[in-house]
Amino acid sequence: MRPSLTPRGLLLAGLAFALPVVLIVVPLAIFVVYSFFSVDHGTMVYTPTLANYGRFFTDPVFIPVLVTTCILCVSVAVICVVVGYPVAYFLASLRGRWRYTLLLLMLVPLLMSYVIKIYAIRSILGQNGFLNAALMTLGIIDKPSSLFVFNLNAVLLALTLLLIPFAILPIFLSLERIPGNLLQASYDLGATGTQTFLRVTLPLSLPGVASAASFVFVLAIGDFLTPQMVGGTSSFTFSRIIYSQFGAAFNWPFGAALSIVLAIVVILAILVGERFGQQEAAR
Amino acid sequence: MALKRLFTGLAGAGLALTLLASAASAETLRVMAWDGYADKDWVADFKAETGIDADVVFIGSDDEIWAKMKGSEGKDFDVFAINTAQLQRYIAADLVDPIDLAALPNQKDVLPRFRDLSKVGGVEKDGKVYGIPFAFDSIGLIYDTDKVKTPPTSMAILWDPAYQGKVLAYDNGEHNFSFTALVLGYPDPFHLTPEQMDAVKQKLIDYKHNVLSFYTTADEALQIYKNNDVALIWANYGQQQMKAMKDAGAHVAYINPKEGALAWLDTWAISKGAKDKSAAEKWINFMISKKVGAQLSERTGFGNTAVATANAGGDDKIVWLENVEDPLKRSDMWNEIKAAP
Repeated sequence: MRPSLTPRGLLLAGLAFALPVVLIVVPLAIFVVYSFFSVDHGTMVYTPTLANYGRFFTDPVFIPVLVTTCILCVSVAVICVVVGYPVAYFLASLRGRWRYTLLLLMLVPLLMSYVIKIYAIRSILGQNGFLNAALMTLGIIDKPSSLFVFNLNAVLLALTLLLIPFAILPIFLSLERIPGNLLQASYDLGATGTQTFLRVTLPLSLPGVASAASFVFVLAIGDFLTPQMVGGTSSFTFSRIIYSQFGAAFNWPFGAALSIVLAIVVILAILVGERFGQQEAAR
Repeated sequence: MALKRLFTGLAGAGLALTLLASAASAETLRVMAWDGYADKDWVADFKAETGIDADVVFIGSDDEIWAKMKGSEGKDFDVFAINTAQLQRYIAADLVDPIDLAALPNQKDVLPRFRDLSKVGGVEKDGKVYGIPFAFDSIGLIYDTDKVKTPPTSMAILWDPAYQGKVLAYDNGEHNFSFTALVLGYPDPFHLTPEQMDAVKQKLIDYKHNVLSFYTTADEALQIYKNNDVALIWANYGQQQMKAMKDAGAHVAYINPKEGALAWLDTWAISKGAKDKSAAEKWINFMISKKVGAQLSERTGFGNTAVATANAGGDDKIVWLENVEDPLKRSDMWNEIKAAP
């Protein structure tokens, strides 16, 4: 249906466009503009400059941190997919109301405050925490281990726990959409369960896997709180650098420039995820 | 910064309304202070003693004080609380008036440390006093008395390999540079030469390797302490942090290191735009009395200038915080330290 060109229709269309423009496009544009300013002794200098971007590429700190952060977040995405896939598969194999009840239960943690979850995870992982106590009771270790907290392991573990619902959901949706008659046909042609899974179910669910991985990656790379709170001294991530530019340093322009760099990485990740998903679906 | 101007304007407009409302009363002192610095009972006692009403505006940040004072060129307030690191900026901007010590009889009875104001960094300029010390706290060292048997005397213990992975550090470049400069024996920890900055940076990288984690709030430090094997905490929140830990049942003690403990100090300053300077002086004199001082420490845990408290022993060396040479540089170098292997 073509939109009517009555004054009322125009007004409605205008409003519909105005909202995202005012609330999303304009703030983003301000952000981009800020990234070309600079700060001199606590006051903003409004002369456009590329110095912020120049500094990102020349300073020996930023690119290595960005690379380690990307590796960390890719690992989180891989772990989330590997652990989330069987869960999603199990959920999709359930019949009737159980399927959605369990799915809902799986998503309940998302309703809780992020900070509270991190605090809880940190006390569980701590040297006197639940995990160490349990391992000691079981006799697996004889003194508290500091392997689980304030290092990279802890960040991996915490991010995986926090983000796994975002991996389960898209995989579940893609598994649910596979028509039952395709599986039936596979069995009719004499394929075993494993063969059916590897040659029918898995390829058809890959778009879900791709979007799950890119979701998790994007959420993980933007998270400054988890590395800050459980990462200790050895896991300095890119988002922590950005955060510090807005707090203590009061260098908004440089923070904005670093955020633009991060946004480009995120957009690339989403594009890669989407492209991969579409290719697999088209095969 | 059009937005900031708008906010300042709005704040000014709101204030103008309040002023219109209170213009009827003959003598009203306009006070700007942090929460806890002008409690209701003090304001009532002040009125009973001097017959002067005080209107108190509470602020939430250093930036807010600056915005309010700069926005009205000081005309909106008579007397306000400001820390020594900030005060010089107000003096330079000609927003504060020198204070006549003869009008403050209570200043003669303050603790020895605060008697000679020329020895309190940051409250004087060209021999004139602009801020009267009121509340302070030191940034000392909290240690677990079960794990650290001999009481430490210096922050240098934070580098001791015996406590590797048992140290909690505060996540702030500015303060970490200052205290490390004191450990290295530099006389002026707030104005470091580039060579000193590099030496401090190397020292802080070593520090990082001894540290379990960085914290930002006192609550967070307590939570990490409870769930982990922590022996030493660089106590950014001083006695308040110490008290919270003791209340939680921790076996801890507090020291100010011998090389000097960093400490913040809030003072009362008189605005350039003060309508009645003598009323403002009466307010300051009242606030530095023994009674208010003792109550301030009891209620907030901060040190006061009139009665001795645990915040600083009589012989403790205290280094009052000043503005640092380049906060941005320190913050950038702190990031480099955190990113270092």
